[in-house]
Amino acid sequence: MRLRIAFYFFVVVAILPVSSTVFAHHGNAAYETSKAVELKGATVTKFVWGNPHTFLMFDVKDDKGNVVHWAGEAGSPSSLGLLGWTKESVQPGDVVTVYIYQSRTGRPVGRLNRIVLADGTALKDSALGYREQ
Amino acid sequence: MKNYSIVSFGLLTAALALSSLARSQDTPTSRAGQVDQRPPSVYQKLAEAGPGGPAPVHDLTGFWNGPLEPNFADMPSLTALGQSKFKMNIPDPFSAHSNDPWRTCDPFGFPRSATNETRGLAFATMPQGIVIMTQYSKIWRMVWMDGRPLPKNFGTKGGPSSRWYGYSIGHWDGDNTLVVETTGVDDTTWIDRRGYPHSVNMHVEERYTRVDRNDLGLTVTIDDPKMYTKPFVDVTNKFRFTPQQQEDEQLCVPSQAIDYLNTIAIPAGQDEIAGQK
Repeated sequence: MRLRIAFYFFVVVAILPVSSTVFAHHGNAAYETSKAVELKGATVTKFVWGNPHTFLMFDVKDDKGNVVHWAGEAGSPSSLGLLGWTKESVQPGDVVTVYIYQSRTGRPVGRLNRIVLADGTALKDSALGYREQ
Repeated sequence: MKNYSIVSFGLLTAALALSSLARSQDTPTSRAGQVDQRPPSVYQKLAEAGPGGPAPVHDLTGFWNGPLEPNFADMPSLTALGQSKFKMNIPDPFSAHSNDPWRTCDPFGFPRSATNETRGLAFATMPQGIVIMTQYSKIWRMVWMDGRPLPKNFGTKGGPSSRWYGYSIGHWDGDNTLVVETTGVDDTTWIDRRGYPHSVNMHVEERYTRVDRNDLGLTVTIDDPKMYTKPFVDVTNKFRFTPQQQEDEQLCVPSQAIDYLNTIAIPAGQDEIAGQK
């Protein structure tokens, strides 16, 4: 009987995480998802509205005034469209505030939580846009 | 002791149920620390319409909405050759080092076009058959309904050429079930996003059953003795008739996908984190 219980425990502990990995549309293991970094005054340089994932490129000045080139990914157009995004939501030259889960490598790349446009409109990511900050 | 066993089984069942909920991206999730305010998907909204009356006879014509992903029914049992092929396949469209055809927007092929990204599906009647259209990548497949046989002996010298979406014939089983048989699919494609392989002589059966006006069920069964020890159901899925008959555009564009890999996946260190350098 103990063996049977151990078997069920093994199934739950060992197989379910594998199952989640297999079926997750996109793992975010590369990103530090406990806290989104706030980047104010981000100037959009490129917005790719595409599959499998949309992504945004933008420039932000660091503490020393140096321009850092950032890139952040978000969900697919179909997923983001449900949340109010369109292909024309942002354009090069727009200045926005970006909330982003940065790569664990420390490089200026990550997964968006949301962006806030100049008029105050918040556009959330379809996967990680609903986390409390 | 028996009680422990029942409790364990109950825990297992509950965990599996929660797991399937968590993996469905069309199902809003509510986890600790998260505020669940997601709007419902188009597919979820359509549930409000109800059955809409009886299904018309021999007619699936029109546009249908589905969930993002189907339900994967079984883990197939592979032959030795199937296992060796499966081990070589590294699924992940978001990894610079996988060999997933999706990574660079190569054609899904069939049946992956029916098992991956299933938000939109349409049927159109032609003089000698039915065209099945898949929203993702705007794929269309001709299903001949005129009684012709399927070609065979793919992969042999002098035999027919395999194709990305193979060759398909169909017939009606009763009033509301369309049965489609397909073979001759290019064997560089995978049957689904999990990376399972197939041979060019794989035989796939799709059974589309219109249970009422607004609801359509699909079962995809694969028979490929070269790769699998027995026929198996790969996926089941459910679709809902779309009143507006309006599709979404979901194109996977190779240059954008490569741009994504270079701009996001590689700098983010996704493979480094996963230990795949």
